[in-house]
Amino acid sequence: MKLRIAILVAALPLLGLFGDPKGLTVFIVGLVLINMLLASGLNLLYGFGGLIPFTFAGISGTSAFICCNLVLHAGWSFWIALPVGCVAASILGLALSFPAIRLRGFYFALSGLVIQSALTIAFIYFPSLTNGDTGITSIPRPTLAGQPIVSPWLEILIATATVLTVTGISALMRSPIGSMLIAIRDDEDLSRALGINVTAVRSLAFLIASLIAGLGGGVYAHYVGFVSPRTFDVLISLNLWLMVAVGGRGTLVGPLLGALILTPLPFIFQQYTWIKDVIYGGAIVVVIMFLPAGLFGLLQRRAS
Amino acid sequence: MDGYLVVAASVIVSGVLVGTIYAVVAAGLSLIHGTILMPQASNGQIFLGAGLVLWWLQTQAGWPLWLAVPAVIAAGLALVFSLELLVFRRFYARADRSITYLVVTLGLAQMLSGLYIGAFGRISDTFSVPPPARGYAFIDPTPVSNARLLAFTAAATVLCALIAFLRLHRFGRALRAVFQNRDVARLRGIDIISTYRLALGLGTAVTTVGGMLYAVAFTLDLTVGWTMTLITFSIMIVGGPGSVLGALCVGLVFGFTQAIVSVFADPTIATFAYLLAMLAMLFLRPNGLFSR
Amino acid sequence: MTSPSPLFQTSGLSKRFGGLQALASVDALQYPGELLGLIGPNGSGKSTFVNVVSGTLPGDEGKVWLEGRQISGLPQHLVTRAGVARTFQAVKVFRELSVLDNVLAGLLGHRARPHEANERARSAMDRVGLTVAPDTAAGRLSLFDQRRLEFAMRLVAKPTLLMLDEPVGGLNPEEIRSMIALISSLREHCGILIIEHTMKVITSLADRVMVLVNGRKLIDDAPGVVLRDRAVIETYLGA
Repeated sequence: MKLRIAILVAALPLLGLFGDPKGLTVFIVGLVLINMLLASGLNLLYGFGGLIPFTFAGISGTSAFICCNLVLHAGWSFWIALPVGCVAASILGLALSFPAIRLRGFYFALSGLVIQSALTIAFIYFPSLTNGDTGITSIPRPTLAGQPIVSPWLEILIATATVLTVTGISALMRSPIGSMLIAIRDDEDLSRALGINVTAVRSLAFLIASLIAGLGGGVYAHYVGFVSPRTFDVLISLNLWLMVAVGGRGTLVGPLLGALILTPLPFIFQQYTWIKDVIYGGAIVVVIMFLPAGLFGLLQRRAS
Repeated sequence: MDGYLVVAASVIVSGVLVGTIYAVVAAGLSLIHGTILMPQASNGQIFLGAGLVLWWLQTQAGWPLWLAVPAVIAAGLALVFSLELLVFRRFYARADRSITYLVVTLGLAQMLSGLYIGAFGRISDTFSVPPPARGYAFIDPTPVSNARLLAFTAAATVLCALIAFLRLHRFGRALRAVFQNRDVARLRGIDIISTYRLALGLGTAVTTVGGMLYAVAFTLDLTVGWTMTLITFSIMIVGGPGSVLGALCVGLVFGFTQAIVSVFADPTIATFAYLLAMLAMLFLRPNGLFSR
Repeated sequence: MTSPSPLFQTSGLSKRFGGLQALASVDALQYPGELLGLIGPNGSGKSTFVNVVSGTLPGDEGKVWLEGRQISGLPQHLVTRAGVARTFQAVKVFRELSVLDNVLAGLLGHRARPHEANERARSAMDRVGLTVAPDTAAGRLSLFDQRRLEFAMRLVAKPTLLMLDEPVGGLNPEEIRSMIALISSLREHCGILIIEHTMKVITSLADRVMVLVNGRKLIDDAPGVVLRDRAVIETYLGA
């Protein structure tokens, strides 16, 4: 587990801050860092755990909506609302994982797809929390001592969160829980026969990954300033999965690399918003066909 | 009193119509998943695409119906067989191919939905195909447009033809054999790969027909693709993968539910209910209601 | 002299799969220091027996005791922690992980002090005669070495009962001889139960043999007695 390289890659986007602080480049830097964080969380379940969690976006969205509402309507501080959102996300993630944890590969993914679709519908039709399809606008940036945090400090803060997340995941994977997760990914039946409590380990992985999803969701909402039910639907889970798959699943660097490459892409074709779907969709097909180990895996093979 | 009767009758009529179209598309999906173990998540987009291309051919290119319909089916088959050649056939032998196919077809669905927005999105938000027949017939006590009657008849015919094909024709029986037991089918000399291709072709053809029928009977918008995928997956899981009869029965039930719910509330609530039903099936009885 | 208390014991063990009664009220017994052989025709319930005792599958009726402690109804990981280990008919190792990581994985579900783990792993590998480099990927080992690895993965956790499901499947005659010697050497560490088709393995190793036919226990006695029993010859060995 090369933590130092991962931290370096996570800090790379900060180079973009040497552009003009009010510009698009800085905004992309922030988005890249948030996606790095989210993709790392998803990687815990997919790369290290071997499960594709389509519910990831919905869990992230739940935290985002709770966080926004606490700040906008209840007047809470972002710094208290965010942890609350994260805790809510991890509880929801754990609850959603319970029934599915007994299902195998394909059926687990399918159930995730269904639950996520149901969550999106719930987001749209419970306007009290989410303002329906219109979404929530004018979400303020986090403040410190009364002053909103400005770029580039805001991006540096997000980078810190991402680095901490990656460090945490690294520590987890080096612990016995991490080894158990990898064993379960390799052969679930064998793991159980050797005395590993597969359900407990998977549940813990879900708890932590959902916490990270919640963190990313809350930060995203207050960074971008606008969220809607569509911000957290199936395609978002799918595209985060793509970042992990493109970068290299089951490694620390992989999701960071994937987020770095894929996040700026839609901005190149800004006037054609629909091209993003064509590119991401096409990338999914290409990755499945040619790059099972992702770009990082390709680099590793070239190096050896 | 009369008012209620008319409402009830129109609910039944639209329920049967939309249910039959659901059943047709779900049957196609079920056929493909039952044989190849491929969950075809882009079927909704192919469904939508068929309707969109039909609309375009008729309204923008001025083609007559009898030319446009086969052209759309041919285009759909061309698309799916190109995909088979480039992508699908690589995974036929893999034991865990279902999850791979699920993700790949989701990616394809995303691509197609982006392409549709790019190609059609700036033209309009909704798309209405000119009706193939004008006027109304009276199915006591409610009027039904002839176009819709035609759509229903076509859908019912497709379903009956499909069921007949699977039971009576040599190739149809081969399909059922592969679905029931791959290894036994192989031992009996059935060419599994050809059967896969037959299932793909048939399932896709039926889906494109369903899309065109929907375009004729209702109005299309660009979100229909994803909704259709969710609904037909629910029908397939609840009815049982590979079971056309299951697709028919569950499709009709879902169609009715949709029609009834639409009277009182947003039809999306019906979709929500289907998703819950699918979830319940996945946990309790993944082989569906009509499994052998 | 009183007889020693059993190492493991089942009473009335039953299991159905839909319409098929895979196990029908099986009473089994094994004493410490004994090597028990389990034989029977295909589909007679041998693997099901091991599945239920080890907790891989839940039984429908009946109880299982290990050293006097009831283990029936426990989830598999708890049964393993209680001291029951099993191998699978088709060899199963973590193909992507190294040999050493595979053996260490055998300790993951058990309480082991971290600094002890490597020591115990190497000692287990020595005991089974696994001489390949510890960082070799397990998927690249020969079949025999993979079987040895499977043993090491179980032994590292110091099991009380080791259940082997057709351990010589796929091995050539010389490897089978080595395997018989290896299993024999493991007897001092734990009780062993072997499911086997190959009579040579059973006659060389087993102190007692239990015969299952159609889910029922037919007979349970010394190998010499069992292999001459008329019912056994008719239903299994082929008259």
